[in-house]
Amino acid sequence: MLRIHFGELDSENYIYNPDAFFDNTYEDDWMMDPVTVDMVRDIDGSEVKGPRLIDSPFLGPIPTERLSGGVKTLILMKHDPDHVFNASACGDNCAGWILKLGRESDLLIRLGYLMDFGNDPFEIEIDNLGVVVHDKRELYETVLENELL
Amino acid sequence: MIGKYSIEVYNNRVHYFLTVQRNITVIQGNSASGKTELIRLINLYDTYGVSSGVSLKCGVICRVLTSNDWKTILSSLYSCIIFIDENEDFLKTKEFAEAVRGSDNYFVIVTRDDLSQLPYSVDEIYGLRNVTDSSKHKEYKRVYNETYKLYNLRTNSHFDPSLVVTEDTNSGVPI
Repeated sequence: MLRIHFGELDSENYIYNPDAFFDNTYEDDWMMDPVTVDMVRDIDGSEVKGPRLIDSPFLGPIPTERLSGGVKTLILMKHDPDHVFNASACGDNCAGWILKLGRESDLLIRLGYLMDFGNDPFEIEIDNLGVVVHDKRELYETVLENELL
Repeated sequence: MIGKYSIEVYNNRVHYFLTVQRNITVIQGNSASGKTELIRLINLYDTYGVSSGVSLKCGVICRVLTSNDWKTILSSLYSCIIFIDENEDFLKTKEFAEAVRGSDNYFVIVTRDDLSQLPYSVDEIYGLRNVTDSSKHKEYKRVYNETYKLYNLRTNSHFDPSLVVTEDTNSGVPI
């Protein structure tokens, strides 16, 4: 299940800056995983040509390190279960992927803003409260009423 | 520092147009809309000038502030536009809020998290969008990006709020 910690998180395995963390920790085989290829195509509109080469329609051929912070964070969520990542590096366009990753395995992330998870029902546990919410309205009301942000 | 400043930053691939008019401007929006690339280009120009291959047109100096010795650097800057990317962990500190309050620089901050210690207007929260296909830029090869207001509250359509929240003039944070 997807668990979200809202606001500040004080934990030894918490990564505040997933962008820099990715650059210094990613493995070549992560990049050739079909899920990674799909995420890069969907979020950045780019094609993974190899573990260290991306073809961007805007920037031309770029190294993996110049992917967007959002897609780097998604790749870390998928491939590095040992850390909790700051999902504020992800925009609303990453929300569908975060829900998908959370359906496929247990995933804890940190958020500092109210991400738009869309209008379909979902199951998200709010880590600060241990409460499970089922849609966007319930999520927003629970976060705001409990002053988590 | 007061007034409105236009900023144009470009290289051979991307071209950005921005206007800042308040001391704090926030840029948010989807992943991969070019926010970090904008900061990267400004930082390259700031470091290497014209030798970077980046062009930057603005009436005042544009700088990028990072976590590396930010207090010393900020205290030495006057009448500049200072860009800060979302990964800088000093953004939410009280020290930074106090430094901004006593500064005559403008700040352009890329962040999705709220900055509760800083007073900024909802009108100064922008996203970046690709306008390459607009008639203005269609003939060019670069990707053109400009800012747009994320929360456009000045709508012409009928607006009937169920609740209005106000603050008094003595709330201590003039915007």
